[in-house]
Amino acid sequence: MARGTSSVGSDAAAAVKPEAAEVAVKGNGWTGLIPIAIGILIALVLHFALPAPQRSYNTQILQIIGIVIVLAVSLNIVNGMTGQFSIGHAGFMAVGGYTAASITYYGSMLLWGSTTKHGGFLGSGDWLFLGSCLAGGLVAAIAGYVVGLPSLRLRGDYLAIVTLGFGEIIRVVLQQTGPLIEDVKALQSVGLKQLVPPPLGGSLGLSGIPKYTNLFWVYSILTITLVVAYRLKSSSAGRSMISVREDELAAQAMGVNIARQKVTAFVVAAFFAGVAGGLFAHSTGTVSPKDAGFQQSFDYVIMTVLGGRGSISGVTLAAIFLTVLPELLRDFEQYRLIVYALLLIIMMLVRPQGLLGIHEVWEMFNRRRRKAEVSGSDVSPAEVGP
Amino acid sequence: MKSLTGGLAAKSGLIAGGAASSSDVLLDVREIGISFGGLKAVQKFSLRLPRAGLYGLIGPNGAGKTTVFNLLTGVYQPDSGEIQLGSQRLGQGKPHEITAAGIARTFQNIRLFPSLSVLDNVRLAGQLHNRHGLLSTVIRTRGYRCEEELLRQRSLELLQIFELQDRADELASNLSYGHQRKLEIIRALATNPKVLLLDEPAAGLNPQEKLALAESIRQIRDRFQVAVLLIEHDMPLVMKICERITVLEYGITISEGTPAEVQNDPRVIAAYLGAGLEDA
Repeated sequence: MARGTSSVGSDAAAAVKPEAAEVAVKGNGWTGLIPIAIGILIALVLHFALPAPQRSYNTQILQIIGIVIVLAVSLNIVNGMTGQFSIGHAGFMAVGGYTAASITYYGSMLLWGSTTKHGGFLGSGDWLFLGSCLAGGLVAAIAGYVVGLPSLRLRGDYLAIVTLGFGEIIRVVLQQTGPLIEDVKALQSVGLKQLVPPPLGGSLGLSGIPKYTNLFWVYSILTITLVVAYRLKSSSAGRSMISVREDELAAQAMGVNIARQKVTAFVVAAFFAGVAGGLFAHSTGTVSPKDAGFQQSFDYVIMTVLGGRGSISGVTLAAIFLTVLPELLRDFEQYRLIVYALLLIIMMLVRPQGLLGIHEVWEMFNRRRRKAEVSGSDVSPAEVGP
Repeated sequence: MKSLTGGLAAKSGLIAGGAASSSDVLLDVREIGISFGGLKAVQKFSLRLPRAGLYGLIGPNGAGKTTVFNLLTGVYQPDSGEIQLGSQRLGQGKPHEITAAGIARTFQNIRLFPSLSVLDNVRLAGQLHNRHGLLSTVIRTRGYRCEEELLRQRSLELLQIFELQDRADELASNLSYGHQRKLEIIRALATNPKVLLLDEPAAGLNPQEKLALAESIRQIRDRFQVAVLLIEHDMPLVMKICERITVLEYGITISEGTPAEVQNDPRVIAAYLGAGLEDA
C-alpha cells in the first residue's frame, strides 16, 4: 500500500470488486439455532426447577416480567432501531391476545367440551395454545402492516398520533363486541345473530381463558424474541433500520428502501407484541378492551426510552426494573405512583440518553477496558495529536 | 486475483479507447428542469458525462447546483427532460433505485450516520446488492453469514485504501471533520457506483487537505473507473482537475466548456464579479 501524498492505493479497484464469494465462516447450517436451543433449555429448567405451585406470586411475577420484556424489546425495534415513534403497542398486544384467547376458548369448547386446561406438559392443549399464540402474532402482524403504511408519509408527532389512534380504535371496537357464549350447548346451537358482532365479551372482556401460560412458554418465546432482535440489530437489515433513524435522506442515497424498512419494523414488532398478548391472555385468564388503551402502550414506551434507544439489553433491564419496582412499592400503596414518576424524572435528568444509550451491556464493559488501555503508558502520537 | 486484475486492465483499456470518441456517453441528461411553485429552480439542464470523465458544476450560491444533484439522484422528480444512465432510463426512479442503478453521491453538509461505527457506515452502503432476506438473517443461515463476512472484508479493504482502517470501530461522529468528508466519499464508493456526484467535497478543508483531495478525486476516477461530477466553490481546484465545466446561474446554464473556455467567458465573469461598472 503506497503511503504519503496519495491516499488511494494501487490495488483499489481489484480490492473492491471481487467476483467470487470465497470467504470462510465457522459452523454449518445449524449453528444459528444454538442460542435458541440454549434459551429453551433454560426455560425448561426454570419450569421444572421452581416449586410446584405454578400460580404462586413469584412465578406469576416471573411470567409477567418475561412477557413485558417481549413487548418492550419488540417495541424497541420500531421506536429504538428504526426511530419511528409508535405509542400504539398495546393495541397490537390486544389484537394478538384476543385472537389467541378466542381460539383457545372456543377451540377447547368445541374440541373437549369445556374451557378448562386439557392435557399435561406439551399435551394437546399446549399445542392448541402455542398455535393460537402464533395466530395472534400473525393477525397482529397484519395490523402492524396496516399501521406501518402511514409511517411512510408521516413523521414524529404525527405518526405518534396515528399509532395512538390505532390503539384507541382497537379498544373501542372491542368494547362493541357481543357477549361471550359460555357453554358448549349454546355454542353448538349458535345463530348468525350471536356471531355478529363476534362474541368476545364486550366491555367486560374475554374471561375464563384456560391458563396455559407457564414459565417454559414465556421464556422460550422470550429467548426467540431476544435472539431475533439482536440478530436483526447486528445484521444488514438492522443497519438499514438504524440508518432510517439516523438520516432518511442519506439512507435513501445509500440505496436503503426506507419504505420497506419502516413497514418491516412495524410488522416484526407487531408480531411479537401479538404473541406476547397471547401469553398474557393465557397467564391472567382474561383480556379486556382496556388492555389496548394508551396507558399500557405508554408503559412500554417508557421502558424503551429508559433503556436507551436501540439497546436490547438496556430495554430488557428497564423492563425488569419497571415491572418489579411497582411490586416492591406495594407496601407504600398511596405513594407508589409518586415514587415511580420521581424516578423517571431523575432518570431523564441524569441520563437523558437512557440507561445504556445506544450500547449493549457487554459493549459498555469493552469500552471501559479499552479506555483503561489507552490511558495507560502506550499512547500513540497519533492519538495525542491536535 | 490475477485474472481479475487482468480483466480490469482490459476493461480500463476499453474505457480509455471509448472516452476518446464523443459517442460513449455514460450519463446523458437532456434538458431537465424543475420549478417549486413559481420559482424555476433549474431549467433545461443538459449534461453528457462520458465514462470515467471528471466534470465540474459551478455557479454562484443559490444557482441550483445542489438541486441538479437532487434531480439526478431522485430526491426531486424532474418536471421535464430525461436522464439516462448507460442504456437505462432513470426519469422517475426512487432515490434507492437510482443508487442501485449506479449513481452515488455525497452531501454538501455531511450526512453520515453518526451513531453507527465507521465500518458500519461503509457496510450499510456496501450491502445494497445483498440477497439475503429477513428470515435468513434471523436464523443466520450459512449463506447469510458468508455474505456478511464478505461485506465486512470488502468494507475494511475499502477503508484501508483510504487509510481509515484504524478508525473502523469508532463512531462516525467522533471522526475529525476532514475524516468525515473522506468517509462520505468512501461510503458513496461502497455502493459500487458508475457515477459519483461530489457536492462541495473541499468545503471547510485547509489548503493541504484540498491539495490531497484534488489528487484523491483523480485517483478515485482512475482506480474505480467512475465518472465524477463535482460541485465546488474552490475555483483553483475545479480548474485544475475538471475536464469540462458547466456554469449555472439562476438555474440556467450560462456556459459550458473546458476550464480555459469557461474562465474567459464574459458571462461567467459577469455572474461571479457583477455585470461591470456601467450597471452600478
